[in-house]
Amino acid sequence: MMASGDSRRDTRRIPGNGLHWLGLAARGLKRDLRAADVRALFVALALAVAASTMIGFFLDRLERGLTRQAGQMLGGDLVLEQGEPFSSELKSTLREAGMTLSDQVDLVSMISRGERFQPASLKVVDSAYPLYGASRVDVGNGVEPLARGPGPGEAWVDPRLESLIDLQLGDEVRVGRTTLTVSGIIEREADQSGGFSSFNPRLMMHVDDLAATGLVQPGSRIEYEILAAGPPAAVSSLDARLEALKRDGVEVRDVRVDRPGLGRALERAEKYLALAGLAAVLLAGVAVAMATRRYVDRHLDTAALLRCFGASQRQLTRLFALQLGWLALAASVCGALLGLAGQAGLLALLTAFLPLELPPPGPLPLALGVLTALAVLVGFAGPTLLRLKRVSALKVLRRELDPLPASAWLVVAMASLVFGGLMWLYSGDLWLSVALLVGGLVMLVILGGVGTLILSGVLRLAALLPQGAHGASSTRALRLGARQLGRRRQASLGQLLAFAVTFAAMAMIGLVRGDLLTAWQDQLPEDTPNYFAINIQPQERDAFVETLAGAVDDRTALYPMVRGRITALNGQPPLEAVPESGRGSNALRRELNLTWRDTLPEGNRLVAGEWFAAGDRVSEAEASFSEAANAGGVGATEPSDEIVPISLEAELAGRLGLGLGDTMSFTIGADTLTGRITSLRDLDWDSFRPNFYVIFPPGVLERFGHTYITAFHLGDEQSSLPGQIVKNFPAVSLLNVEAILGQVRDLLTQVTRSVELVLGFVLLAGISVLYAALIASRPLRAHESGLLRVFGASDRLISRVQGAEFAILGLASGLMGALLAELAAAGIYAGWLDLAPRLHPWLWIGLPLGGALLVGLIGHGLSRSLRRQTPMASLGLLGEA
Amino acid sequence: MAILGESGAGKSTLLGLLAGLDAPSSGELKLFGESLAALDEDGRAELRAGRVGFVFQNFQLLPTLTALENVLLPLELAPAADNDARARDWLTRVGLGERLDHLPKQLSGGEQQRVALARAFVTGAELVFADEPTGNLDPATGERIIERLFALNREAGTTLMLVTHDHALARRCDRCLRLIDGQLVDMTPEEVSA
Repeated sequence: MMASGDSRRDTRRIPGNGLHWLGLAARGLKRDLRAADVRALFVALALAVAASTMIGFFLDRLERGLTRQAGQMLGGDLVLEQGEPFSSELKSTLREAGMTLSDQVDLVSMISRGERFQPASLKVVDSAYPLYGASRVDVGNGVEPLARGPGPGEAWVDPRLESLIDLQLGDEVRVGRTTLTVSGIIEREADQSGGFSSFNPRLMMHVDDLAATGLVQPGSRIEYEILAAGPPAAVSSLDARLEALKRDGVEVRDVRVDRPGLGRALERAEKYLALAGLAAVLLAGVAVAMATRRYVDRHLDTAALLRCFGASQRQLTRLFALQLGWLALAASVCGALLGLAGQAGLLALLTAFLPLELPPPGPLPLALGVLTALAVLVGFAGPTLLRLKRVSALKVLRRELDPLPASAWLVVAMASLVFGGLMWLYSGDLWLSVALLVGGLVMLVILGGVGTLILSGVLRLAALLPQGAHGASSTRALRLGARQLGRRRQASLGQLLAFAVTFAAMAMIGLVRGDLLTAWQDQLPEDTPNYFAINIQPQERDAFVETLAGAVDDRTALYPMVRGRITALNGQPPLEAVPESGRGSNALRRELNLTWRDTLPEGNRLVAGEWFAAGDRVSEAEASFSEAANAGGVGATEPSDEIVPISLEAELAGRLGLGLGDTMSFTIGADTLTGRITSLRDLDWDSFRPNFYVIFPPGVLERFGHTYITAFHLGDEQSSLPGQIVKNFPAVSLLNVEAILGQVRDLLTQVTRSVELVLGFVLLAGISVLYAALIASRPLRAHESGLLRVFGASDRLISRVQGAEFAILGLASGLMGALLAELAAAGIYAGWLDLAPRLHPWLWIGLPLGGALLVGLIGHGLSRSLRRQTPMASLGLLGEA
Repeated sequence: MAILGESGAGKSTLLGLLAGLDAPSSGELKLFGESLAALDEDGRAELRAGRVGFVFQNFQLLPTLTALENVLLPLELAPAADNDARARDWLTRVGLGERLDHLPKQLSGGEQQRVALARAFVTGAELVFADEPTGNLDPATGERIIERLFALNREAGTTLMLVTHDHALARRCDRCLRLIDGQLVDMTPEEVSA
């Protein structure tokens, strides 16, 4: 019975090493690329990697860029500030920890040129200034970046001083008891975020000249600062000391905490990108799960044959796992390249408007991308793949011997676990991920129920369609299509759920995009003020108002402004009254701008208490701009010891630990005034309007020295007005914020485009799900259409029946998707993006119709080749390619 | 050896048991001297590896693989530098040297079964099971396939176990058994010719 020959081989004793299996798997994959399901798997994985790496690369670079920029804007990685000089002991501690230090002193003083005087904000720097970046200064050769401060005997000044006291390069300026030479005109300071940090024009000088000015006297209001630069580890080693300093009332600004915000718009955009990235990964995961089912079905024969030829279960598992591993690797490489290109696109859209230079892409997002592909594969394909291992060799003789499909619960559980892990990885928030996951799973169960109902409803409706003797062919197709769906109710429900989740994710990302844009547009309407006028004297007020009256709209308000310092909170010294975390707040050490007003300013929102009642205090001096135009003088009231109501900004109240009913005392000039908090306000700092922490009712502050501030919008046709104001009101400082406003608007436009680019990715991922799902159901449909053909159905009828089937499926999925998207969007708005939830009625029409059209078209297109096959080929197709 | 039997007599079940594709619920069965009952499915697979070849009625070629790749499939379970050359050689022997890169759907039924023959012998199997190898072919093509099967069998010195209901085919075998009511009965040459 046994024979031997030179061709006899004994494969049993050569189990094959790892490399052999790698090669075998690679060859298998190469052959497999001919199959549609493998291509669908590849596309889905590549999209998941592309979306996650694109967004990962971008956010990582933005994050690192922001850290670098934060250091520059703060002036160091760590900035300490207090009202008295710092001890040399503290400085040695900082140096020993590895920090480089620079001392700085800030004070406000009168400066003069000849007979002209002007209050200025003095910034006294040492030779180590600046620790980071460079100032942009004109020292006589045009504006250039300079990584140093003014030398001894020199002063660098704000260009505003030129118009105020006619100060030019080379002029002498008197500061206290000393005289300095103007050697530079400052366009931008190295450690300043831009905009206007102080209403007084800046003068920078060297610390060596400070003593000679004689300005440092006991009781002078001077801020001392230490700017420190060093690696994060050095800053971290100082944590305990920093905490102690904060308790002592030192203001500590830390690059790790005090990020200059890029504004809420970009913050929301960042969140949106992260959300869209996760949505794309989820969609790709669903596509992978669906394509894997088909992949496994198609490989059952291969697995059975290999079992026949002697392969063990382990070898089969290894072979298919490696094969898909190769696929994941190839998809990762393509996806990562696509992601790199995508993030370059995002940056190209945004770089010009990001006020920072971004570091090159780091390796972390790439690793994350590959990890994402593998995780999606294991989570969404793993349990289904294990089916291949369980194939019996006997299947080669008895075709019906297919292993049982993996339990739906196991598939969902595994996918949820992996997706939850990815969410955790991306968001860094375990509880948010767990909550979203649990919520999602509960939703899935509910959706299963709702899906069954919707499917039954739609099928019942289709059954009610008129059924005449000949029946219009379209209604006949609809009835037949519905019946086909009904026959495979379980499979149809699975597809319905997958499509509904897909449509919901696509719609949600689209909805959020639209609502973000609306919110951004609302934030900066056309008539947003582009000019600020400050330092308007009471006696100039009426004339100033008259000059502007015809040019600006009457919503613009003129606010009186009084400078006051907080001296007590609930009768206690502020540093003792506030929580430890609030002791460093600069509101306690600096003068605050106080105003009075009888109505809630535009853009402010009461969050607690009530606005001043008409009887609280009413002055003749109305502050509203339109009324002010007709108002007479300033009402003078007698000093009083009584406690007046005040309105406080809610965030500051939180920092200082204050609430309704608490009292705040202010020193204004030589007087002290106490107010009781009767309301808390939320306000929009990005509104380009004057904003105030503390507002008094009219009739209280009028007796103190005050000036007015306003913001207004001037169109192009009013371009002569600013010149007129400067000429007629030399004391008034006019700030043109058009450039900043333009920058913010441009930023919003560019952020919008980046959001659209990401939306495109999500839509692609969604379409890949549809493709994968329809590919997976192809053989079954081929079998059905083959049978219909055998029974005499025409090509036209089969085409219509299939079209109707897909359209019904799309319609039902769209309906369910709309429900899901609406719920999810409401949750995301309220919980994450800080937007007011709104209903989207068109979604309920658009999504079902769009779904019917999209699924109908893709499905119908994919089935075309099946309809061309002969019934024999169609019937033989089941279980094969 | 041929095993004859009517349709539904259990021929394919017997073949599955003999080849270790299935485990008997009772009784003992030995393949290459080893009791199959003592082996689990992986053990039986290892016993088959490289020693058993198969030819099926419906060819069992993988539709996405070319002729060459289909023949390479059993060889690939064990690494060898000459796998590719062996597969080409066997395809040439069955007359398909020019059609190596054709997919099954581009080949006729007879050609597909020839690919299956090459795949059955390429590992140098000691035992080849053939399940109704001509069942899906027209008589003339079937005849040619049988000629080739027996020729390859002789050349390779393999034991061939043929399951069929075709007496003409069975007559060419050294020994014939009939499966009737679950029993294997030796057939005389006269019975086979009848």
